[in-house]
Order: sequence, then structure tokens, then C-alpha cells
Amino acid sequence: MNNYQYEEKESFDGRKVKVLGPTYEEGKPQGMQDWKVKLGGREEILGYLKTALRYWYSKDWFGSERRKQEA
Amino acid sequence: MSEEKVRSVDKATLELIEKAQSDKISTVFSRADEIKPCPIGVEESCCKICAMGPCRLPRSKKEEQKERRGVCGATIETVVARNFARKVAAGAASHSDHSREVVETFIKAAKGEAQGFEIKDEVKLLEVALDFGIEIENRDPKEIALELGEKALQEFGKQHGELTYIKKAPLRRQEIWRKYGVVPRGIDREVVEIMHRTHMGVDQDYKHLLLQATRCALADGWGGSMISTDLQDIMFGTPVPVLGNINLGVLKEDHVNVVVHGHEPLLPELLVVASKDPEIKAMAEKVGAKGINLAGMCCSANEVLMRHGIPCAGNFLQQELALITGAVEVMTVDVQCEMQGLKDVAECFHTRLITTSNRAKIEGADHIEFHPETGLDTAKRILKIAIENFPNRKHTVHIPAYSQDTVVGFSHETINYLLGGLFRASYRPLNDNIINGRIRGVAGVVGCNNVRTTHDSAHLTMIKELIKNDVIVLTTGCAAMACGKAGLLTPEAAAQYAGSGLAEVCEAVGIPPVLHMGACVDNSRILIAATAMVKEGGLGDDISDLPAAGAAPEWMSEKALAIGQYFVASGVFTVFGTTWPTLGSERVTRHLFEELEDMYKGKWAFEPDPEKAAKLMLEHIDKKRKALGIDKARERVLFDMAMRRALA
Repeated sequence: MNNYQYEEKESFDGRKVKVLGPTYEEGKPQGMQDWKVKLGGREEILGYLKTALRYWYSKDWFGSERRKQEA
Repeated sequence: MSEEKVRSVDKATLELIEKAQSDKISTVFSRADEIKPCPIGVEESCCKICAMGPCRLPRSKKEEQKERRGVCGATIETVVARNFARKVAAGAASHSDHSREVVETFIKAAKGEAQGFEIKDEVKLLEVALDFGIEIENRDPKEIALELGEKALQEFGKQHGELTYIKKAPLRRQEIWRKYGVVPRGIDREVVEIMHRTHMGVDQDYKHLLLQATRCALADGWGGSMISTDLQDIMFGTPVPVLGNINLGVLKEDHVNVVVHGHEPLLPELLVVASKDPEIKAMAEKVGAKGINLAGMCCSANEVLMRHGIPCAGNFLQQELALITGAVEVMTVDVQCEMQGLKDVAECFHTRLITTSNRAKIEGADHIEFHPETGLDTAKRILKIAIENFPNRKHTVHIPAYSQDTVVGFSHETINYLLGGLFRASYRPLNDNIINGRIRGVAGVVGCNNVRTTHDSAHLTMIKELIKNDVIVLTTGCAAMACGKAGLLTPEAAAQYAGSGLAEVCEAVGIPPVLHMGACVDNSRILIAATAMVKEGGLGDDISDLPAAGAAPEWMSEKALAIGQYFVASGVFTVFGTTWPTLGSERVTRHLFEELEDMYKGKWAFEPDPEKAAKLMLEHIDKKRKALGIDKARERVLFDMAMRRALA
């Protein structure tokens, strides 16, 4: 924990507060961040499509197009 | 300021232009000095579709209101609209023929007949199979892929009905398209119909002609291009963030340099595989090289950069300059945006220029045709030619010491994931930050380079202005590469260039303020991202409601016009720079710049000054914010029960 860096910033009410600074690792990323490998079998993939890409693949929720009143 | 300095804002480019001049090598830059644009052609006031002409119908310099007609009686409106429609058809045909090649290879890959290709991305396969209504339960991925490939191929020759992907658009958008009868039936049919309707003595009502231009453009954006993007993703993997390197400095003096140039990623994908072959590596070492250095050029570069992190040597105007380094053993070219001047430049060095598509040869260049059945063998053959050519370097190698780290690979699926993770992937955080004003809006800045402007300058000026004003930029094609070279495609760029609101969001998500979404064919990804924003809710019911705008400040190709037209027809305010091809007719220009907004809620604009163009985009974004009621910060009110009852 001692390795974390903190910055002092002003909060909305004017108080000085300590804010956690950057926590990323130094250096350049190696390889690709292929998030899809986290999805297991087909069931998990289909579940993901129906929730994450619900805009097209969910049968019961279509975001703004389901609203009663026009935007 | 010397003449070279206005040629480009990129130091590597300037260095090699100077070298070309001192070595007396002709390039696009020197040829542009020798050839001025035709003043009649630039306004498309010339008709040459029959042998009674060509009929030149320039505007009167004295501003006389004289009626201009061709020999057949065609009005200037008909002439200009026909020329515009034909350009849209050519652009749509280019993306879509690329797409057809991809689909045919995809089918062969599904059958196991395409050497080195596979169905790599099952998530995307299932996604697209659902779009096409393909049964996926208890079926093998290859079986699903085969049915998908065959259905996708039918989209090209379909004669009636609607393209499958049309239903992915917001419902409101689909209604608009149906109202005006511009829903594409089949991709090829819309291109063919333009060619027919612009033949001598057919469609002679400019508004009617432009309706078909819209239909054809939509067949590109929501058809050919989208199919191409999706099937490429399935075969090669949907892009995810990857670190790459860009600019001419990626070429290596001690390596065998192979530059892949063009647009179809089929052979380039196999060159990536083949370059890792131990036998090939050993061969390279045998001739004194440290290995094979594969680098991309133009949109082929975008494809292999975003899927493999293969370095990118540059964008459109840098293609000849790559050869002027004297370090390129082989340049392969397939289709689109390859200058014939490459052959003459290659002859000044040891470089072998190899055409690889059965649809595109260059006189004097070697031709080694790519066929999916023997693709990997072809890739290895090309690499062997490059290796054998390495000892033939006859000039001093001059590689500019400029290259830049870049983070690419922001497919719409990846953006969705990055905004919420695996369990709550969503465009909600983007919409929320637009609503709360941290992000002012979204801009798609895409397109080519044009030697009539300062290379990369308009892209960078516009994009810096937009991100400074908290507009997140989505970019593709040569515009994306310009951003990469200037360091705008790194998360660190947010702190340096973006406004405080956008920078805050970029820092929280860990993304650059400018997101590289791929090649020019991948502008379809921007359409889908915009649709996801609409469907997520809170920003209206249609793409035209979004605080968003599009631009191609350095456009030059017919593909750019097709892209622009499908963006306008999808409801996007779209600004082009450099030049505008309907200025010959005031009425046609007014139709595109004003009247289309009444129809499609999107319209064209032309502004060669990139700062002014960015201001037009910001004004449009603010207009949309106002219409949505998110132009002012509102006080949060905690509703008590009485207030809630009053609502009912």
C-alpha cells in the first residue's frame, strides 16, 4: 500500500483531499488484450451476446426503441 | 517556409520528399506540381457518357445566369448528378467487390479449402449468424460458417426485398429509408442500376438520380462494407487493443523488408503467418538479414496492425516514399489506392513490386496471384523472393528515424466491452458522459490523403480541435494513420490534447481520445457504434438525434464519396474538405447541402479549412445537444412522494 502515490486536490466543497494517483504499471503492454478468451463455451458466449449486445440480440429489451414516449 | 514544408506535416515524409527531389525520382508530390486539376472536371461540369460530346459546361466566369445544356439537352443538374452518382457507384463497387472476395474466401475456409485460413472468432461468428437468422444450436462452427457465407454471398445478387443488415439500424432510421424508397435490395443491383440510369438518355431528374445514389451508398455501408468487416473479423479475429508502431521509421535496414499495400487483408494475413515460419527465418539469416520485417501501407496496414500489431509504414501519400528508403525488398499490392507510379519508383531501386489480385495488374510489375486454396504457399513464395532480393540492394539505405507508438483495435464490440467489462458491457457510460457534458459529442473523422492539401495536416488540425473541445473521435483509414503518426492514438494523448471532460473519461476507461476503428471498409463499425448509442437510450431514437458529426478532410477517392453518402443517408452531418464534386451545379449542391436534411436528417457540407470545418461540426453537435435538452447542466432534484404523485 505504501507504494501508492497520492495527489492533493480540492474537493467540491473546497476542502483539500488526498486522491489516489495513477496505479498502472510502468512499461508497454506485451501482446493483445483479447477479452474474448474469458468467455467459456457457447452458452457463455450466447449469454454475453444477449446481455452485452442486447441492442440486437435480446428478445425483450431494445433500449430507447422500447420506450413509451418518444425522446 | 520552404516548399517541402507545406507538402506534409510529417517529418519522415518531408525527409524522403527531399531525397526524391535530389535523386530526381518522380513522385505524386512532383507530379502534382506538373499537373493542375482541370477546372471543368473539378466541378464535374463535363459530360462524356456518349460520343456526341464530350460536352463541357463550365460556369460562366461573369456569373451570367445562362442555361447550360449538353448536345442531347441534358441540363447541368443532370450532368453533375450523373457524375456524382457514378462516383458513388464506383466507391460502393470497390468496397463491395472487396467484400465478395472475402465472402468467397470465407466459404472456402468453412469448407477447409482455404490454405491457412480458419474460423477464428466464434463469438463474432455466432453474432453474425444471429443477424442472418441462422440456426446455431448444436451445430459445428464450420457448418454455421458455411451457411453464413452462402447467405452473405446472396446479399450481392439479391433482386428483391431488403439487405439483411438493414434491420440492425435504429427503427426510426429504417422508417426513413422505407419512406423514400432507398432501402437497398441487393448490393450488385444498386450499382448496376446507377450505371443504367446514368447511361445516355435514361434518368434525367437530378433528385431522382440522387435517390439511387443514396440507395447504392447504403448498399455499401449497411451491405458490402459491413459484410466484409464482419466476415474478416470471424476469420482473423475481431480487433482488440494492441500496441503497434507507425511511420516510415518502422522499416529496418538489417531486415528483409516486405511492405503489404492495398485493402484486402487475405494475403497479408498469410504473410504474417508465413513470416513466423522457422524455415523462412533461417533463409533470411542465410542472406545476412536479421529476419523478416513485415510492414503495412494504407488500409492493408490498418488490417494487420489492428489484428497483429504488425508495424505500419504509412498512409496513402507515403507509398512511393517507402520505396525511396531503398530498404524495401518487396511491395505487394492488391486492390485500391495503389499508384501506378510505384512501378517507376521501384525501378530506381532493387524493389520488386508484386501485384497479387486477379483484378489488378500494373504494367511492368510482377504478378503472383493470390488464391485461397494455395494462399499460404503464395505467401511463402513472396517472402522467398524478398529474401533472395535482399543482397541486391544497390543504393544507400535511407530510413527516416521517425516512428510512433500507437494503440489500435477499437472494434465496436471492444468499445462496448471496455465501457463496462464482461458482466456489464454497455454503451451506457458513453451515453451518460455525453448527457452529463463531460463528452460534448462524437465525431467520425475518416478518409484519405490528398496531394492537393498538406499531407495529414487537415486531419490533425480538425481532430485536435475536436478533442480539445471534448469531442471523442472515431477514425479509420488514412486519417487513422495520420493520428497514429502524430501520437493521438495513445491513452497519454488524452491528457495532452483533450479537453478536461474527455480527458477524464479517457483516463478512467484507459483509452485514447481518438479511437482507431480500422480500415476504410470498417466505417461500418462506426455505423454500428452509433446505432448502439441510440439503442442504449437517452440520446434520441435515431442516429440523426446523436450529438455527432462526420468528416473526411483530405478525401480523394470515389470510395470516400460512397462513405459520405451513406453517412448522410444514415442521419449524419458530414463535412468534406479539399474539393467538392458538384460545385458545377448550384441546385445539385443545394440539394445535397440543404434539402437532404429534410429527408434523411443528415446533410453534406464542404469546408476546405479544417478549423472552420471542425467549428461546423461543433455547431452541429451543440444543435443536437440542445434538441436533446442536454445543452445545460441541470440541478439534480431529489423527488419526494408528493412530487412523484404529481408526475403520475
